[in-house]
Amino acid sequence: MGQLDYVILESDRAVVSGRVLEHESSGNAMLAELYRAHIADWPKFFKMDTLSKVGFVASELLLKQLSERRCGSEEYISNRAIVLFGTTASLCADKNYQETIQDIDNYYPSPALFVYTLPNIVTGEIAIRNHYRGETSFYVVEGADAAQMAFHLSCAFADDRTESVLAGWVDSTGNDDFKSFFTLIGKDDVEGLEDKIKTILNKTNI
Amino acid sequence: MEEMILKLKQEIIEVLNLEDVQPSDIDNDAPLFGEGLGLDSIDALELIVLMEKNYGIKLQDPAKGKEIFKSVNVMADYIQKNRTK
Amino acid sequence: MERLIQCIADNVVSPLGLDSVSNYESVKAGRSGLKRYESMGNVHTPFTLSRIDRQVVDDACSRIGLADGRYTFFEKMLLLSSVQAVRDAGIDASSDKVLFVVSTTKGNVSLLGDPAGFPSERVLLGKAARQITDFFGNPNSPLVVCNACISGVCAQIEAMRALKSGRYDYAVVMGADEQSPFIISGFLSFKAISDDFCRPFDKDRRGLNLGECAATVVLKAADSVPDDCWELVTGAIRNDANHISGPSRTGEGSYLALMETLRCCRPEDLAFVNVHGTATAYNDEMESIAIYRAGLIDVPVTGLKGYYGHTMGAAGIMESILSMYAVRDHTVLATRGFAVQGTTYPVSVSPELRVTDGRQFIKLLSGFGGCNAALLYRLNGKW
Repeated sequence: MGQLDYVILESDRAVVSGRVLEHESSGNAMLAELYRAHIADWPKFFKMDTLSKVGFVASELLLKQLSERRCGSEEYISNRAIVLFGTTASLCADKNYQETIQDIDNYYPSPALFVYTLPNIVTGEIAIRNHYRGETSFYVVEGADAAQMAFHLSCAFADDRTESVLAGWVDSTGNDDFKSFFTLIGKDDVEGLEDKIKTILNKTNI
Repeated sequence: MEEMILKLKQEIIEVLNLEDVQPSDIDNDAPLFGEGLGLDSIDALELIVLMEKNYGIKLQDPAKGKEIFKSVNVMADYIQKNRTK
Repeated sequence: MERLIQCIADNVVSPLGLDSVSNYESVKAGRSGLKRYESMGNVHTPFTLSRIDRQVVDDACSRIGLADGRYTFFEKMLLLSSVQAVRDAGIDASSDKVLFVVSTTKGNVSLLGDPAGFPSERVLLGKAARQITDFFGNPNSPLVVCNACISGVCAQIEAMRALKSGRYDYAVVMGADEQSPFIISGFLSFKAISDDFCRPFDKDRRGLNLGECAATVVLKAADSVPDDCWELVTGAIRNDANHISGPSRTGEGSYLALMETLRCCRPEDLAFVNVHGTATAYNDEMESIAIYRAGLIDVPVTGLKGYYGHTMGAAGIMESILSMYAVRDHTVLATRGFAVQGTTYPVSVSPELRVTDGRQFIKLLSGFGGCNAALLYRLNGKW
């Protein structure tokens, strides 16, 4: 029963399976810094809200880490599911959008902000980037509970086309405040999944 | 007009979060959509908001945006003729 | 032996009624909850909306003993619907073998504009859902499915999986959304809203209407599903991987989700496909492509947005329930607002009631984020 590879991405911290990534900035600036240093070929990144930026950078770092070891057929990759959890969902984007409609004298609702008031948009951003056509789901829960996450992640394999799940936790309470972890789960990882997730959670500030 | 075009380019870059794009990178006559800047349907809607917020132009029919957003020159010209602020 | 999933109770709360039967009869009679509004809060662009009368909800809540001032309107809708469904199911909802799943897109988001005396944490969907489980005394942590417009189908799929796993025996699956200036202004900024009654699949469709609704199904895990009872057979969620707001031009995700459900039934056995049918130019076109590609072009298609508008978190559940009542009644419900075929592929949609002897239906949805979902329900046995 091996441990899972993971990425932890928090306001001032980026860790890839135990290896700390160097950075000079924090918050949103750190996300841009990591994007420029490790990704750099997806300008739509700059249009995303914080939740999506976090999910995008974390998933990219994870997939980069895994690319040498977990190659799969096109079908295997295309069928990959994305299942994310969080407590604050799109609250940060909700507040940003609310500002564009709160004041009658400055009422200019922004479509680019509104679209991110759906927390599952981050799953869509990752699916588009990686051409994943499997299941995409965002679950909002009261708090990070390894047992609850492990249960619903193992449920994802009830869809018999799903052979791997890009899974994670992502919360953003402000444009510079976020906590997340991402990992990749295969069918073989389901056994003992709760402990594996607990191991990762213990390394985070979630 | 030159000043107006530069201002408009800066506004477009800002509202569409075109990181790493300078006003001089945007050709006055090049199409805003389809190629180059990689803009999509949400960007088109956001340009409609820009026209209302900064120039007091209300565009009800998004299809009309297609003509207006042909290029920065066309957009600037439309704004000059229709602006209310 | 694999556990099967039976739907044992249901409820719909909407402007058309406070239970499923009155909703079904209203729709069958052609009544719609949609009305034109000139403004709401800071929104001063006309729109057409199906809105629940607050007084009707308050009166109904006091009849079931819900304390005044304790719950938000969103929570009241959920409670009103789920209390009735749980009572009809006759289950002990305080048992740890009962899972609560809530489907919503925006929950209590209106509190951001007007807190109305509620603590700020209530905008968190988990906290709102906890109000519901606390009411029922259920010890489990509620699961909130927040997958944009497909949430209601996803919630039923996840509940089905949780029941099949053996951990739970029952799932109370509910969905609702409150229509506030937040959501209305957002869809208006997308130029997606029609100020007139929506016209699903029509050549002159000009956009969607929004709507308010709460709906609940109670699902049970069983070794077998008796004749003339509803079985939730299968479901799938698939992504277009194309664009975060625009539907795929090939209907990819919707097609893939449909194909998954078709592994469990033959097209000729379907009474109908209950589509999303929002009446935006792109959604209906995309669905017609997916239906054509899946070989379902001759299967009756029906959409309910002309009666309810787009009820978001409730849509997948309410539209499943209305479809169950229609199948029992040998009926394909009329697609209100449709007159003239307006999609590239001519799906079998009609403004009139039609007769069917099918005992299965597919519920299809698509949403922002490129997500799509399909669900297959079957009325067991034979006529």
